[in-house]
Amino acid sequence: MEIDPGPSEEHNVNASTEDSPEIIEQKIIALAHTKTKGISDKDILSEMPDVQPVQRALVINKLLSQGLLDLYKQDKILLYRLKDPNKVKTAKGADNEEKIVYTIIEEAGNKGIWIRDIRFKSNLMPTQLNKILKSLETKKFIKAVKSVAASKKKVYMLYNLEPDRSVTGGAWYQDQDFEAEFVDVLNQQCYRFLEQKRKETKDCRGGPIAARNITFATSREVWKFISDLGISKVKLSVDDLEMILNTLIYDGKVEKTLSNDGTYLYRAVEPLLEPPGLIKAPCGVCPVRKNCSDFGDVSPINCQYITEWLA
Amino acid sequence: MSLFCEKLCSVLLLEHFGPIVQSVGDDLFKHGAKSLGFIRATTGLPLPKVKEALCVLLQYGFAIHRQTEKGIQYHFLPDKVITILRYPRYMFFAKKFCGDEAEMMLEEVLKRGYETASQIIIKTFHRLEQHRSEHQSSLSMLKDKFELLVKNQFLTRSICTETMDEGPAEKIECNVPDLNMQAMAQIMQGNTDDPGDNKIYWRVNLDRFEQDLRDQIMVSAITKRVDENAGELMRQLLFLMYLRTASWADTSNPIPYSEIKEAVRKINYPLLVQYLDQYLRLLEEDSSQFLKRVGDSGGGQFSINTKEAFSQLAWTTVENIVMERFGSKAARIFRLVRSRKYVEQEQIQQLAMIPAKEAKHLTYTLLQENYLQMQELKKAGASAAPTKTFFLFYIDLNQVVRMEIEHCYHALYNTIQRREQESASNKRMIDKQLRIQTLTSNLKEHGATEEQLAEIVEMMTPSEKLQLEKVQNTIKKLGGSELQIDETLFLLTMYLHYH
Ligand code: SF4
Repeated sequence: MEIDPGPSEEHNVNASTEDSPEIIEQKIIALAHTKTKGISDKDILSEMPDVQPVQRALVINKLLSQGLLDLYKQDKILLYRLKDPNKVKTAKGADNEEKIVYTIIEEAGNKGIWIRDIRFKSNLMPTQLNKILKSLETKKFIKAVKSVAASKKKVYMLYNLEPDRSVTGGAWYQDQDFEAEFVDVLNQQCYRFLEQKRKETKDCRGGPIAARNITFATSREVWKFISDLGISKVKLSVDDLEMILNTLIYDGKVEKTLSNDGTYLYRAVEPLLEPPGLIKAPCGVCPVRKNCSDFGDVSPINCQYITEWLA
Repeated sequence: MSLFCEKLCSVLLLEHFGPIVQSVGDDLFKHGAKSLGFIRATTGLPLPKVKEALCVLLQYGFAIHRQTEKGIQYHFLPDKVITILRYPRYMFFAKKFCGDEAEMMLEEVLKRGYETASQIIIKTFHRLEQHRSEHQSSLSMLKDKFELLVKNQFLTRSICTETMDEGPAEKIECNVPDLNMQAMAQIMQGNTDDPGDNKIYWRVNLDRFEQDLRDQIMVSAITKRVDENAGELMRQLLFLMYLRTASWADTSNPIPYSEIKEAVRKINYPLLVQYLDQYLRLLEEDSSQFLKRVGDSGGGQFSINTKEAFSQLAWTTVENIVMERFGSKAARIFRLVRSRKYVEQEQIQQLAMIPAKEAKHLTYTLLQENYLQMQELKKAGASAAPTKTFFLFYIDLNQVVRMEIEHCYHALYNTIQRREQESASNKRMIDKQLRIQTLTSNLKEHGATEEQLAEIVEMMTPSEKLQLEKVQNTIKKLGGSELQIDETLFLLTMYLHYH
C-alpha cells in the first residue's frame, strides 16, 4: 500500500537524533528497579535530561496502561512504582493466549491488524479469539479502529496508539467519510495557482527556458498558497498537498519534474491535442452505439442524437 | 478485418462509383484475393460489368492484381478506399503549397485515378475558363504548376498500364515529359494532335500526403504544447529528417545542430534564431519526447522519434475519448493506471482521491468497456492461509486503439448513412434547384433579360428556399463531421503503423 511516506519518515528522523520510546521505556524501568519506593517526575528528569516532557508522559502512560507501573501520591508528589512482576500477571489477568494475541497486535503498530490476520497468526478458534479480543478491549489494552480502506473492516491496535493515516485516511476523512468535495475544491485551487503562473509567462522576455522556469512551483509554494487562502478547516501538510497535486497529474493538467536539488517541481501544461474529432460527433459519445444498426429502433436514419446535434 | 470497415468501404464505393463497383468491392472484401471468374460467380454480375468495376478499383489503387499459379488474383485494399475521405484535405495541401490551379489539377487526377499530363492541363484550363474568366491563365503557366506538383511529389508516375500486365515495379522515372505545347493548343481547339505524352500516366502520391498529414499533426502538437516558434522548429526538423531518413522510419537519423541552425536562419522567425538552443532543449526535455539528443558532437545531434510521438498522441487521444464518454474522474483513473502500469483497485481510489464506491464503479465501467484490462495474480500465503488473490488493472494501448479505430469506422458509416438519407429525402428539391441553375446559366448564354431570369428564380417558393438552405446546411455539417472523425481515425492508424 502506498500511503504517504511522510509521517513515518519523520519518525525515523526523531529516532536517529533522540532516544526511541522503547529505550526511554527501558531506562525508566531500570530506574524504577533501583528505587523500590517509587520514582518521581523529578527523578526521571535528572536521570534523563534529554527526554522531552511530552515523550516522558507518553512512555509513562504506556507503562501505566500495561500495568507495569503503579501510580500513587505521597506528600503531594506523584510517584511511580514498579509492580511486582507476579502481580502484574495476575493483575492483567492474562493467560498465554491473551499474551500471544497482545504481541501480535503490538507488532502491527499503529497500522493495526485485521481480525482475520490475527486468527491466522495465532491459530486460535474464532470464538476463542473473539473472547480474548473483547477482554483485552475492556481492559483498555487494545482498541478497535474502523479503517477507511474498507467500510466494514476493523483493525486492532494498542490502546494508546494514534492510528496511522492509512487507517484514518488523514485529512481527507471525517469519521471514515471521504470528503470528496473538499478534495475537488483543493484540486481546482491548486490548478488555478499553477495555471496563473503559466499565464504570467506571456510577458516573459527572457527566452523560452526562462519562461518555462517561471511556470514551475514546488509543492511548498502551492501549500503556502492554499494555506493563505484559508479554505481548509483542518491543517494540511505539504504531503497532503502533494497528494492533491498528484491528482492533477492524473487529470493530465499538470506535470511533475525532478529538479537538480531533488525536489519535485510542478507546472501546468497544455495537452498535445485539441479534443479529437471523433468525440465532437454524436456517434463518438453515443451511449447506445452498440445497439445501433441500419434497421431497428436505433439507427442513424432516425437517430435523435444526430437530430438534436443538427438543430 | 472488421465489420464496420467493410460497411464503410462499401458505402464509400457506392457514393463515389455506383452499385456495381460497390458489389465487386464487397465481394473482394469478404473473400480476400479472388480471380475474375470467381468474382463473376459470386456477384452474379455479367463479365463485362465485373471487368469494368475491377478496372475502376485498379485505376484508383483500391485493389491490386497479382499473378499466382491460379491465374491473376485481385486483392482489395480497404485502407486505400478510406483515403477517399481525405481527398478534400489533400486538395487543401496542394492549394497551400502550389496554389489554386494546382488544387484543381489534383482534383482532376483524384477524380480519374490516373491521367496524362496533357489531359490534366487541358481539363484544368477548361475549368478555369468556365469559373474565373477574369483571371487569365495560360497553358504554359499550368504546365509550370504541374511540374511544381511533381517536384513536390504530390503526383507520381502511375505504373498502372492499360494492358495491366506490368512486371515487378521497377524504379519509375519521375521527370515530366516534354510536352508539345502547340499540339496541346490544337487539341484545345477541338482538333486531334499528339501532345507527346501518350501513355505516360500520373497518379496522386497518397504516401506523400499521408506524410504531410502526419507531420502536420506533430507540428501543431508542438505548437500547442510550447508555442509557434517551437512548432516551426519542429517543421524544419521534419524537413531535415527527409533529407537523411526513409520517410516511415521510427526515428530519424541524427540531425546535426549546424544544419538546424542553417535551416532556421533561412526562415523569418527571429525569436527562434535567437533562442534556438533553448527551444531545442525545451523539445528535448518535454514529456512528449518528440525529439531526442543522440550525440554531443558539433553542438549536438538530434533525432526525431516519430514512433514515440505517435504513442504520446494516441494516448492523449484515447484519454480524451475516455474523458468525454465517462467523465473527468474516469479519465483520471485511466491516466493513473497508465502511469502505474499495474495497479490494484484500492490504490486507484487512494491515489485518484475518489470515494471508494465511485472509484470502483468507474474502474469496472472502464473494464467492461475494454478500456482497462484486469489480471488475476495469485499469491500463496502461509500454509494455513488460503491463497491470496490480487486483481491488477492495466491498459493494453494497442487493443484500445484498435477498438477506437473500429469506433471511428462505425461513426463514419453512421454519419454517411445519415447524410445520404438527408439528401435522398430532399432529392426532389435538390434536383429542382439544379435544374433552375442549369436553366439560368443556359438562358444567360442566350442573352435572356433580367426579368426572365428573375422569373425562373421565382420558381422556388420562399418556403422551398428556406427548406433547401436547411438541408444544405445539414449536409454540410454532417460532411464536416466526417472529416473530423477521419482526423481521429488517421491519427490512430498512424499509431498502429508504428507499433
Ligand atoms: S447514429 Fe445515433 S444512435 Fe447510432 S451511434 Fe450514432 S448517435 Fe448513436
